[in-house]
Amino acid sequence: MLIDYRYEFGDDVFFGGMGQVLNCNDLVLERPVAIKFMPGDVNRRRMNDEISALFKMRSKNVVQVYDVLEFKGEVGIVMEYISGNDLFHIHTAPVSSSEYIKLLWQIASGIADIHEVRIIHRDIKPNNMKIDPEGLVKIFDFGLSRDAVDGAATLGFVGTHGFAAPELYGYSVRFTPAIDTYAFGATALYIGARDLPNELTVHPPLPLLLNYFQRLAWPLTQDVAETLLSCLNPDPLLRPAMSYVRDVLAKHLLQGRHRALVVYNSKPSFLDASNRSVLLDLPNLGSVEITYDDFDFVVTATSGQVFVNNRAVYVGFKLPGACVVALGGTEHGARRRYITFDLSHPEIVL
Amino acid sequence: MIDMLRPGVMIGNRYEIERYLAEGGMQYVFVARDTYTDRKVALKTPKNKSAEKRFQRSAIVSAKVNHPNVAKTLDYLVFEERQFLVEELINGLDMRAALLNDSAFIDPYLAAKVFHHLAKGVAAAHHVGVVHRDLKPTNIMVVGDYSLTEIKVTDFGIAKMAAEEMVAAVEGGEESLTTSQTAVGALPYMAPEAIETPRSVGTSADIWSLGAMMYHLLTGDYPFGQGLNAVPKIINAVQPLPPAFLLSNPQFAPLAVELIQIARECMSKDPRNRPTADQLVDKFSNLCYSVAVRARGTVESFLYNAYGYISSEGGRVFFHKECVYGTLPKVGESVLFSCYDGGGAPRALPVVKLR
Repeated sequence: MLIDYRYEFGDDVFFGGMGQVLNCNDLVLERPVAIKFMPGDVNRRRMNDEISALFKMRSKNVVQVYDVLEFKGEVGIVMEYISGNDLFHIHTAPVSSSEYIKLLWQIASGIADIHEVRIIHRDIKPNNMKIDPEGLVKIFDFGLSRDAVDGAATLGFVGTHGFAAPELYGYSVRFTPAIDTYAFGATALYIGARDLPNELTVHPPLPLLLNYFQRLAWPLTQDVAETLLSCLNPDPLLRPAMSYVRDVLAKHLLQGRHRALVVYNSKPSFLDASNRSVLLDLPNLGSVEITYDDFDFVVTATSGQVFVNNRAVYVGFKLPGACVVALGGTEHGARRRYITFDLSHPEIVL
Repeated sequence: MIDMLRPGVMIGNRYEIERYLAEGGMQYVFVARDTYTDRKVALKTPKNKSAEKRFQRSAIVSAKVNHPNVAKTLDYLVFEERQFLVEELINGLDMRAALLNDSAFIDPYLAAKVFHHLAKGVAAAHHVGVVHRDLKPTNIMVVGDYSLTEIKVTDFGIAKMAAEEMVAAVEGGEESLTTSQTAVGALPYMAPEAIETPRSVGTSADIWSLGAMMYHLLTGDYPFGQGLNAVPKIINAVQPLPPAFLLSNPQFAPLAVELIQIARECMSKDPRNRPTADQLVDKFSNLCYSVAVRARGTVESFLYNAYGYISSEGGRVFFHKECVYGTLPKVGESVLFSCYDGGGAPRALPVVKLR
């Protein structure tokens, strides 16, 4: 069967119906595509705002849409086809906390990108994400068809049990980005524990009895575990924005990987995870100890007069990205000493 | 210019031409609006008969590569006997216009970022068996000025056609090598085997080109010069000596040394001695470099031959001469810089003189 004169589908039978996805071969560009069908009329050339936003969105972690077409009375959205297993599959399970955090960071980035263009995914779950051959997480299968008629509100339950937020079990439901946040939290728990706790599998789900994120096979730092737990807060207003979740995870991707280039008297040296601390001491004028704590370069002791970029320092002061440490006050003129610090870290490029 | 492609013309009942954008040796590029999806796209169409012959093939080749650091192929169509490739529209400039026009070179942090992203895009292409063959600054798109919010390789498909023109130019000898528009732009970045045995170049030719571009961006010089004089130097892979400023400043030397070392490995005469794209990605993902945004400003003062202030839209910024990569800018000259929190005024690092 040939769809729209170019997309070849292995079967001749087209059932149609809500949300059917067909894997086809584009004969023009000779590449596989996935076409998602939903009721609608593309000939009017006026799609709802949500589909139009999807076409304009650019996200590394959301499946790319190529085209839109009409076939047998339904609208088809032509998307890139991602080979490989989805995140429900055991083969995609992370094997270390750093892999786990990188995976969650990509998912959170994709959902944050979706929310930024004011779309709500509505069906976030491990089955709706794949890892492409280049290692990028791609979120797909938006719950688009569900609001074709009545905007953002719907009657009765929609979603996937175990991942659907408790407020979706009401009679008249208004969708908010917080339902995606909740589903992200459940997805994160599933990917880490390979199962959902009983609290999440009842309808509607109940508050978690304990922080299961602290009981995964690998340890998570407390702030990551708490941020992930907060995504599952029964109160949608108390769940964090996905951009916040993304940033917390991004910070931990670089844990222990920062470096400070220290230049004194034109001689460079480095501070990093293998050489964490330096004591800069100019007797009688000023002294400061700077220590790398896995995230920041922090003043851990100081006495006398010490300035960083012309500001007096204190214990707990975090060095800015590029700075000069001056030992001694301005009144000491040529007796002052200057040491520069340039901070950097590897860039995570997907 | 082609008459039929005026603003307002509808291509294939779907793409409405908005404006002419650019042209390369092989094709014209227009900005169009996809009336089905209401998004802006780049519409590419062949410029001459030889480009026409391979245009659909080139679209198919570029459609195979799917990575954030490669421009996405969206559609291909024929309308009134003219072929069109529809590509994601990148709101930026090509790398030569973006990074080598206002400045002679870029600082090592920026260079590390550029080539980390390029290595990723090229690796994705090599994974699906696609060799670019014509990597040069004008085939790379940069978004966000020197802050580099996006870096994308384009024209993967078209490069094969360009490669054929280059084969013709190379086999035509010295004269055609310096008259073919396509060959002239590519020559400074071409691998020895692309000149000696142009019909059999593999993925490692792309690696050489990455190394040659990296050398150019970091130093401001073509590694082997331009034009005919470059040919024997490329063929013998005579490694260039980087200018002194690269290594003279302890603030930048550690990273500059690492980058020059990578560039040299990429420009090994024997393709087998060059790193693979995956190995390059690995090297870059372990490098530490700052990704702070860049701003433009003017040197307002310079005191005691040691420090001064830059005036910029964001306010007044302190700089020390040790924070300058390359030539020290004079008062009144334009500079590019990143700035960091400081008392009295923020502090700039790195500072690079603009033309």
